[in-house]
Amino acid sequence: AGSLLLLLVSDLLLYLFDRAVVLSHYIHNLSSEMFSEFDKRYTHGRGFITKAINSCHTSSLATPEDKEQAQQINQKDFLSLIVSILRSWNEPLYHLVTEVRGMQEAPETILSKAVEIEEQTKRLLEGMELIVSQVHPETKENEIYPVWSGLPSLQMADEESRLSAYYNLLHCLRRDSHKIDNYLKLLKCRIIHNNNC
Amino acid sequence: MKENVASATIFTLLLFLNTCLLNGQLPPGKPEIFKCRSPNKETFTCWWRPGTDGGLPTNYSLTYHREGETLMHECPDYITGGPNSCHFGKQYTSMWRTYIMMVNATNQMGSSFSDELYVDVTYIVQPDPPLELAVEVKKPEDRKPYLWIKWSPPTLIDLKTGWFTLLYEIRLKPEKAAEWEIHFAGQQTEFKILSLHPGQKYLVQVRCKPDHGYWSAWSPETFIQIPSDFTMNDTTVWISVAVLSAVICLIIVWAVALKGYSMVTCIFPPVPGPKIKGFDAHLLEKGKSEELLSALGCQDFPPTSDYEDLLVEYLEVDDSEDQHLMSVHSKEHPSQGMKPTYLDPDTDSGRGSCDSPSLLSEKCEEPQANPSTFYDPEVIEKPENPETTHTWDPQCISTEGKIPYFHAGGSKCSTWPLPQPSQHNPRSSYHNITDVCELAVGPAGAPATLLNEAGKDALKSSQTIKSREEGKATQQREVESFHSKTDQDTPWLLPQEKTPFGSAKPLDYVEIHKVNKDGALSLLPKQRENSSQPKKPGTPENNKEYAKVSGVMDNNILVLVPDPHSKNVACFEESAKEAPPSLEQNQAEKALANFTATSSKCRLQLGGLDYLDPACFTHSFH
Repeated sequence: AGSLLLLLVSDLLLYLFDRAVVLSHYIHNLSSEMFSEFDKRYTHGRGFITKAINSCHTSSLATPEDKEQAQQINQKDFLSLIVSILRSWNEPLYHLVTEVRGMQEAPETILSKAVEIEEQTKRLLEGMELIVSQVHPETKENEIYPVWSGLPSLQMADEESRLSAYYNLLHCLRRDSHKIDNYLKLLKCRIIHNNNC
Repeated sequence: MKENVASATIFTLLLFLNTCLLNGQLPPGKPEIFKCRSPNKETFTCWWRPGTDGGLPTNYSLTYHREGETLMHECPDYITGGPNSCHFGKQYTSMWRTYIMMVNATNQMGSSFSDELYVDVTYIVQPDPPLELAVEVKKPEDRKPYLWIKWSPPTLIDLKTGWFTLLYEIRLKPEKAAEWEIHFAGQQTEFKILSLHPGQKYLVQVRCKPDHGYWSAWSPETFIQIPSDFTMNDTTVWISVAVLSAVICLIIVWAVALKGYSMVTCIFPPVPGPKIKGFDAHLLEKGKSEELLSALGCQDFPPTSDYEDLLVEYLEVDDSEDQHLMSVHSKEHPSQGMKPTYLDPDTDSGRGSCDSPSLLSEKCEEPQANPSTFYDPEVIEKPENPETTHTWDPQCISTEGKIPYFHAGGSKCSTWPLPQPSQHNPRSSYHNITDVCELAVGPAGAPATLLNEAGKDALKSSQTIKSREEGKATQQREVESFHSKTDQDTPWLLPQEKTPFGSAKPLDYVEIHKVNKDGALSLLPKQRENSSQPKKPGTPENNKEYAKVSGVMDNNILVLVPDPHSKNVACFEESAKEAPPSLEQNQAEKALANFTATSSKCRLQLGGLDYLDPACFTHSFH
């Protein structure tokens, strides 16, 4: 934080966005790998995808789904949206780590990725809050975000049900991390480079 | 009856089927959607594979619905993507949403449905290859040439808004090479290649990929011919230099190993041992550097401080004193050349070790080879054979300019430091050899005194003499007094410590020619054999040593007597102050003239300093 104080305001925003994009890109890569490993190991070819439809807790958020929609949303709302998604993932990530760690024969690679994702998501959230304070200082702190309630599913006794719960969780994580990454790259080009990347 | 109907029906049915089969008409097989791709995250296309052909025209339709919707849709575009494809345009494409789609094949006979496919556009992104690949050899003036590769992103991809992010990769190889050289280029659309083989034809390709997605196909090959004068790598030059240096080092090592010692001796030649004829090992033992140096022919050994003053004093001669004494022509010592014998009070006749001053006492076995023109200090050891008629101290150099140097003080016989112009004693000059001689000669055979214990004795005696002189005490330095002072200083050299009696080569010696009325002694070279008529009983006779003072006359004349026990060279007597006028004018003047001439010559040689180098005299008189 001390080093940030030395940056000029314009450079600060560039720095913050660069850092945010790097984090979001990294988080999605981890999430994608984690999902692939899980699917390959536990659920491949068993049709779990069919049960993953409409399973994400963040689907209630009105997030843009194409370029045109993304360009129509205003900057401030866009930033808030990103922050909400990030906030909504704090708890699921925490439980994911806890539950995977508590598994018998916990898959180490999946666990390590989950731990890293949780950590980096916290960093990204902090960075986003800094960006918001720079771009829209007047923003009132909005604590509303979708709540995840999938913990009981992760703890179900039935293996099939439990696997399905993990599958859905990792599936949604992969998607939402991609969303955040894409949104941030859009915003960076819009705010820093004036749509001229 | 009933059985007939049944069998007839079956027969008919089979016939019908046969007919149909013979016609090849079947419902279509089950199609399969095998690939969906989005090149820009704004549209995507799916392709299916038809099932077995039913033999009848078959219609395919693709139907889909999206996650969170219940409404079924049909493919909006069957054409753009080619046969058996479905293209989804911008308005139909959504990110982060699962598409559930299915293909239905229908013909007259029936229809078939494919399996449902769950597709998320997010994960099917694969761009087209980059376009407009351009390759060029660039040769900037002050820098190395390079290959310049440039390309454009594929069309329809939105990079400006940041919706899409592209990463590139290029590869190249010489035409006939087996493996590609791959370079990741990040998000830039140009690239430089520096290391290329000149004269080769290269193939270059480029491809791209989204931040999260599949690599595109490679672009079509582009060919480039590298010119033959493409600069060689620095590495080639450095490798050549390194190899050359290694070869040279190996040669040197090999030579050293072979030659080893001989090379070392070539580079660092051993210090040659002294090669002086007749070098006296004893001298070495004594470790007297001055003597050694004199023995070695070192003529300009810097004077020791002891002698410096004496030398200085010694040289201060006033011209007016020319008349002091008869100039005595003394012969140059014949065998001078050998060593700095003239420097050496002892040295005489080029005798080897015997020349060294230390030998005064010592065992100089060598006979006095030299014609006894010199009073040889060694003679002191053989008092019975003084060999000198001279009363002069052997160190007394002939008037030709041998400047006698006497070492005074110290038992050590050391070489008189040659009064080089750059060195000590720039102060005085000898104007008159006789003066010099007078100076040089100490009352008690000063030179001898210097040389060793014997010298010491002489010193004592001379000192005794001196004391007798009462104020005639004289150093060599008292040259002035020689002619100017009326004080008691005796003009001759006293073998005192401070008196740097030079170990001048006793190139010659003088003997008292006669004493004039004034009490001045005229000096003659030994050869002259003139009957010296010393004023006093101390008449110098040939081969006699006069080392004992019998008395003092007129307060300024020392009377010497032969002293067989004395180990010193007999000293002369002379008047204290006045320059003794030449008794024999002719001779004196002649000698003086010679001397003067020589001295002037010598003086010149010395760079203008007013002292004379006995060596110079030596040579001049050869």
